[in-house]
Amino acid sequence: MLAQQLFNALVLGSVHALFALGFTLTFGVLRVINLLYGFYVAAGAFAALVAVQSLGLGLWAAGAFGVVVAGLVAVVCDFLVLTPLRRAKAPELSSLIVTLGGVLLMNSLMQIVFGAEVRRFPARLLGQDAVTIGPLVVAPIQLVIIATVFVLVALLFWFMERTRLGTAIRAVAERPDTAALMGVNVGLVVAGVSFLSAALSATAGILIGLNFNAVHPYMGEPMMLRGFAIIIIGGLGDIRGALVAGLALGFLEVMTAGYVSSNLKEAVAFTALILGLWLRPNGLFGRASGKRA
Amino acid sequence: MNRRTVLAAAAVFSATAALSGLAVAAEPVKVGAIECLTGPAAKYGTMIKAGFDLAAEEINAKGGILKGRTIELIYEDSAAQKEQAINAAKKLIGRDHVVALLGPTLSNEMFAAGPVANERGLPIIGTSNTAKGITDIGEFVFRTSLPESDVLPVTLKKAQAKFGIKKVALLYSNDDAFTKSGFDVFKETLEKLGIEIATIETFSVKDTDFSPQLTKIKSLNVDALVVSALAEAGGGLVLQARQLGIPKTVPIIGGNGFNSPKIAEIAGDSADGVIIGSPWFIAKEGAQNKNFVESFRKKYNMDPDQFAAQAYDTMYILAAAFDRAGEADSKKLRDALTKTDNNGLLGPFKFGADRSPATAEGVVVTTIKGGKFTLLQ
Amino acid sequence: MMATLDDLLWSYQSLIYGLGTNAILGLSMYAVLQLGQLSLGQAAFMGIGAYTGALLTLRLGLPFPLVLAAAAMVPALAALVIGGPTMKLSGVHLAIATIGLGEVLRVAYINTDAMGGALGLSGIPEKSTFAIIFGLLAVILAGFILASRSKIGRACEAIREDEAAARVMGIDVSAYKMTALVISAALAGLAGALNAHFSSFIGPNEFAFEAAVSILSFAILGGVTTPFGPVLGAFVLTALPELLRPFHDFRLVFNGLIIVLVVIFLPRGILGFRIRRTGG
Repeated sequence: MLAQQLFNALVLGSVHALFALGFTLTFGVLRVINLLYGFYVAAGAFAALVAVQSLGLGLWAAGAFGVVVAGLVAVVCDFLVLTPLRRAKAPELSSLIVTLGGVLLMNSLMQIVFGAEVRRFPARLLGQDAVTIGPLVVAPIQLVIIATVFVLVALLFWFMERTRLGTAIRAVAERPDTAALMGVNVGLVVAGVSFLSAALSATAGILIGLNFNAVHPYMGEPMMLRGFAIIIIGGLGDIRGALVAGLALGFLEVMTAGYVSSNLKEAVAFTALILGLWLRPNGLFGRASGKRA
Repeated sequence: MNRRTVLAAAAVFSATAALSGLAVAAEPVKVGAIECLTGPAAKYGTMIKAGFDLAAEEINAKGGILKGRTIELIYEDSAAQKEQAINAAKKLIGRDHVVALLGPTLSNEMFAAGPVANERGLPIIGTSNTAKGITDIGEFVFRTSLPESDVLPVTLKKAQAKFGIKKVALLYSNDDAFTKSGFDVFKETLEKLGIEIATIETFSVKDTDFSPQLTKIKSLNVDALVVSALAEAGGGLVLQARQLGIPKTVPIIGGNGFNSPKIAEIAGDSADGVIIGSPWFIAKEGAQNKNFVESFRKKYNMDPDQFAAQAYDTMYILAAAFDRAGEADSKKLRDALTKTDNNGLLGPFKFGADRSPATAEGVVVTTIKGGKFTLLQ
Repeated sequence: MMATLDDLLWSYQSLIYGLGTNAILGLSMYAVLQLGQLSLGQAAFMGIGAYTGALLTLRLGLPFPLVLAAAAMVPALAALVIGGPTMKLSGVHLAIATIGLGEVLRVAYINTDAMGGALGLSGIPEKSTFAIIFGLLAVILAGFILASRSKIGRACEAIREDEAAARVMGIDVSAYKMTALVISAALAGLAGALNAHFSSFIGPNEFAFEAAVSILSFAILGGVTTPFGPVLGAFVLTALPELLRPFHDFRLVFNGLIIVLVVIFLPRGILGFRIRRTGG
């Protein structure tokens, strides 16, 4: 049972981390608490669903389609809503409220277009029969989720360290004003980060939709709160931190539900968060973040 | 949008009725409905609205109520917020001057909006509120939603007899009034029947992952899983239980929330063998239900669920009460409602002294086979 | 004629009460934002006040003024207790820690049968009146205006602009922060109890993340350069969903669109400009 619980923790932690990767990028680089992030999860899943059902695409093509569509939607939303605020040097919190309005707008529109009911990807897109490996029962989609998270983290590291856009993104994250002076195209970086983070969130949406067979307009919302906790504990903009904190939260939740009491699952996660913040006010990895560097 | 179709149908009807020489009172009878039409609970609200609209359309087409007046349904959205439910109730009563109210969708909203209608002496009928204490709000508050206390014992007894269940795991969403009330009844009934509860596990209505609870349950070797959850969480839970290797010889017994096509849709093949007790299920025998399911599919291009069926029946109960009252008067309507004797989709229906359903006769126990609800033999 | 007017007032009575209590919540947010502190515990404090008030009324039948006093006191005490540890935090860390408080309390309400559990507390008698709600709002608003024009206001501004410099100037920053948090908690608790006593019902899920964000949005949308800002912000955001009812399915679409447009065109809030003190 312990082996299975550890595996459950790995899967849940990976789902958390997957959601947090793009979130930490947009929060850390663009310095924006973007509540629309939860919407991109559903947008990606719905776009992939439409691709499978109406365009007749296969799973991988549909997935890519969903990811690109969500990325483009994010670039447009960012340009329409957040860029004007950036230009006006508006207070940080105004971006939070503008995305709050944005979420209301987009979720309601999505419900009008797609309806309120829960949908699912057609059965048998991916084998759903679990296989037994030693003491473990494992479903194929779970392996896909775990693999995706680790591949994405590796790719993100490579991208941030080795590509020009990645370097530019890091420069903007550290010193937005200096970066602009040094000739970094800030507009391009902003668009790039918006696209990337929404694409990551859409990946999470599609995989979660496949894993739990449920796609609906509000599927991203319940993940937002845990997402906040993860990226703050992990450090804003810290990819490795998001992975570690996501896995840690998954572990904590599964172990609490499995061995203590499922009643306390949610409370334990947040009690740990509060204690963690109290003991390490600057996040797990001690990086100073937020306004005061 | 649908309000317009109802009105259009009403208009067409009035014209034909006038031609055929019936006495037509020009003014339709206004009934308000408060439902979650936006927000995360909209999936329930839209199903309920679909049931109301279908029934109202049929009633109006067949001659309406009170010798030829039509029912005009005015919807207000509550977005699952108690404040909005109150504001909607006040707007419908104070501005639109409706004679009666239907809804709201959630028990929480009824606890907030019910007192408003009661204070003004207007009947308010919940079609989906199962929480304890709903009708204690006052003598104008009714509900047609099935009390699980009548349904679940039948289900559990039948399952006990058929599968020799001695030990179960009990699971429920602990942060929702609907599923918590279902859990209370399950627990009481299990204790009465002398079935051992090996463990009680909880989760949130918003949860999608149930693997730690199910892994623990798997190791306890129980004879059945008893689950009080809404359809989305329920479907996911059934899927994961089978994925984790809890064998199909261990049946999963669900409460009211499971009586939805979504269970089979989400869980796929894993839903086979799920057991649900209800006075209504989609494949229920009889011309009345066949008609309902067919018209529903034709109008909305989807399958009805229990919320839609309850709403549909409630509209007929309300229409009959209007005719019994003899005029569109709230007080007389209330008294007429207490004398309800309906035979609808849910079987014979009367209100008890507490204005909740008196009995749930004709509860049948169903199981899912090949993705479809069938009678458990 | 009178009957029509009565109906009109009755129809919008709860909405008007909602405007008043939400304005108090907006001011509760303003109390901490004044010091540049992003504490999002207001929803949690509101919940403590609402539960305290509702339980005292339902179980002990205490007179309403006493209930209100307790509903302000209990969250204030809670703020004193948690204030120490959270003083160390700033920015988003403070925000998430205080949101965490709301989540932990939510789980506590759900698991406590004496507090109604998942079913919440229903049948709370209607005791909030127009005079009580708006009387309190007026007093609180006046208090904030007077404070902002005194040396307290200048000290707050100094702390908000540069905490270190404020310390050098001899301002007891910690005392200010603690006082602001306690006042904020008391106001939120008061609003919670007022809300409970006109909506008949409170449930465990009403005081968590979503509530925290909407309380914050009252203050930010209205603007925090003057105490009138959060009040106006609360009025607008509370009234919008009701005013937009004629749009039916598109109601929340327009609601969202209006919020987006207001923030884009008035990023510092509707009352974002400074209309304050002369000289200083």
